[in-house]
Order: sequence, then C-alpha cells, then structure tokens
Amino acid sequence: MTSQAETVPTWHEDKLSFSRLWYIVLVVPIVAALAFVIFQPVQVLPRIELAPGYSLVDQHGNRFTSEDVRGHLTLYTITYSHCGAGCPETSATMRTVQTAVNELSLGDLPTAFVSISIDPTRDTPERLAEFARQVGADGENWRFVTGDPSHLKQIIGAGFGTYYDATQADAIPFDPIYVLVDGWGIKRAVYRTGAPDLETLQRDFMLIAREVENSEGVNRFAYEAAHLFLCYPS
Amino acid sequence: MSVSEREVKRTAPAVESTATQPARPARARRLPYWIPISVLALAVLLGGLLWWIWPPTLHGVVLQSPRPTADFTLDTSAGTPMSLSDFRGKYVLVYFGYTYCPDVCPITLNDLRDLADELGEPAMQDVQVLFISVDPQRDTPEQLATYLPSFHDDFLGMTGTVEQIQPVASQFAIFFEAQGGPDDAGYLVDHSSAVTLVDPQGRMRMVFPYGVSGAEMAADLQYFMRRSLRFW
Repeated sequence: MTSQAETVPTWHEDKLSFSRLWYIVLVVPIVAALAFVIFQPVQVLPRIELAPGYSLVDQHGNRFTSEDVRGHLTLYTITYSHCGAGCPETSATMRTVQTAVNELSLGDLPTAFVSISIDPTRDTPERLAEFARQVGADGENWRFVTGDPSHLKQIIGAGFGTYYDATQADAIPFDPIYVLVDGWGIKRAVYRTGAPDLETLQRDFMLIAREVENSEGVNRFAYEAAHLFLCYPS
Repeated sequence: MSVSEREVKRTAPAVESTATQPARPARARRLPYWIPISVLALAVLLGGLLWWIWPPTLHGVVLQSPRPTADFTLDTSAGTPMSLSDFRGKYVLVYFGYTYCPDVCPITLNDLRDLADELGEPAMQDVQVLFISVDPQRDTPEQLATYLPSFHDDFLGMTGTVEQIQPVASQFAIFFEAQGGPDDAGYLVDHSSAVTLVDPQGRMRMVFPYGVSGAEMAADLQYFMRRSLRFW
C-alpha cells in the first residue's frame, strides 16, 4: 500500500506540470508577441486617409475618374507641360519609378501612374499627349489628366494637401508631392519631395503587394495585427 | 541546528504518517481547489477581454489614423440646413446617391435599412444615416423627404448645389458626374458607391465598399461601439 501511495504524485509534484501550463497559457503568447514586435516578420504601410474622388480628362481626351484606378496601386503626382528650368521634374521621376516598379514582382496587383496637370488652360488633351510622348511615358498605365480649375484645386489642395498657385501666368509654383494610393482608394504613403528615394518607393510598392496577397485567410490576422501593434516603416 | 537536520525534522512526521496510515491520500494529494478555479477565472477574464477588444473579421476597410472630416452644411430632407458636426456624438454613415438612381443606390439603401434592423432601435439612437444627393438638380429637399422614408424613417437626405456637394464628395473619395441635364429626360449620374463611417468624434473610421451587406456593416459597427465603451 505504501508503494501504491508513493506512485501517486503529490500536488507539490504536480506543481511542475502546473507551471508548464502557465508557460503555455502566459509565457508562450507573451514571448510570441514580443518576437512579433521586435523582429517584425510582417511590415505594413499606414492607411492614412481617403484619397480624393475626382472626374478629369486624360491625354486621350477620355474621362478619367478615381473609379478607373480602383483596385490599382496608384502613384499620383502633379506637374504641367510648360514646367521649365527650376521646376520640379516630377515627370522624369515618375518615368524612373515606373521603370523600376515594372521590374518588381508585384503578383497580380495592377499599378497605375497619374500625373495631374495644374495648368488646364494650356494643357489640352492634345498637349498632354505630346508631353507624355516627350517624357517617354507608357500611356497605358500612366495617365496625364487635368480638368476644371476649381475641381483641380479641390483635388490637389484639399485632397492631396499640397500647394500650387494657378494665378501665375507662365511658371506655376507648386510643392512637389507623390502620393501612393491603394486599390481601396486609401492613401498609403506621401512623399513631399521633388526626388523621392527610389528604394523607399520600391519597398512601399512591395509592402502593399504583399499585404494584398495575404489579405485572405489566417495571414490576414497577422497583417491586421501589424496595423494595430507595430510601428510603420519610415 | 544545521539545515539538513531541520529538513529531517520537517519531513519526519510525514514519513511516519505515510508509514502508519494506509492508502488514503488520493484526496489529499489533489491540487488545492483555488488553483483550477483561479486558472478558470483568469481564462474567462482573458477570453472576455479578447472578445471585447479583438477585431473580428471586419468587412469594411479601417482607417487606422483617422483624421477629422471637414465640416459641411447642406439642405436636408428635414427642411432645415444641417451640418455634419450636428451629429457629433453619433456614428454617421454617409452615402452618396440620387433618387432617380436605378440600381446601386436603392440596393445600398436597402443594405442600410438591414443594418438598422440588425442593430435595433436602442443602438440606432447612436447612429445616423446621411444620404447625400449627387443630383441636386432633381433631388430637392422635398424629393428626398418623399423618397427616403420608403427605406427608413430616420434616414436623412442632404442636398445643395453642385459646387457645394463637389468638395464634400471629394473628401469622401466619391466622384460624380451627370450624364445629361434638365433637358434630358431620365438622365443618369455616374458616381462612386461606398458607405463611409464617421465616428462620434467626427473622424472617418471605415469605408464599406459596394456589396457589403447590412448585417456585415452592423457587425463592424457593433465592434466600434463595443470598443468605445468606457468604464471610467
């Protein structure tokens, strides 16, 4: 009988397995959460705010609206075709970015590039088509658009939050800006510079492409958790 | 007395009793009752906390860093002009459409009615649906007042001039363009279709693309309502 009693573990001995339970219940999730935060296996760009809705005219003379790029990862900038010496060369930068992005492996995610002219008086569709040819734009997914001056001011000033002075007759001063907008129409990155870092842009395109790829199933939780708990890349 | 002697004294009676008392200790060797109870209580507490704050599979797209929505004032189906800021303290669901819209708008308004039914009357006290017209030529306040009650009595219509509505629509990522004018019978208005959730602080929090059902929107809204509760 004594030997039978000795085979039954006392509760002090059970403490060992009980502490294992604690490890499973508390320590493992905490360590996993810390590892997730420290090593950041998932990176995401912030969902900043809604990009403006618009209806404009492109270089082919066709209506071009914010709905036409829904589902596309779109890079916007502003320009005008008479932009001369000293003017931010946003079109040259866009061409470089377009070439670089075309080399990325973005899966099935379609991309688009939109240059909005702030000079609707001179930038007719014909003029924009000529300008697109001059800068070597791939006209299929790079559109040059313009529209009604007050609507433009609404889109660029209030929507994209940058300054330009359309009252100037020849050289229109403006603060260069590039805005990356996802397929939901949400701004994901804003680059307030005339020459954004190409590697950063490529990284940001890739981050959104990966997020879109993993937007279904269990992986979605990891990405949503990253939005909630992780710092965004700078 | 050395440490080992103290250990011997402490353990000696237990050894004796084991030796003299026959096999009883099955009960005595169990874990103290408070341990499983406390583990269970902790598990329930943690589970409840997670259920409270953990995002469900949301159907809309969350804006993580919500910014204040620019205020606007428009004529309403209630007969007086009203502003977005008049609804501060409520969840506002903003939808752009027009009363002559043949398909998308009535479908979305039906979804919003389903949302209202799903949430129920008490919760709807904290929710306001705004239907902003993209066809101000035909959608007068009176027209909106006639049209909207067929979906829900509490839906509020808003209208104004194209110049007034354009900037409002643009900030909600909505474009619209009439495919005709007063002289064209039954012209259509092209427009984006999405429902945007503005929180009680006046910030855009979520976008529901076209096709999200009323029950799904209600589930997302209930999540925000749960998270906004405070006990202090």
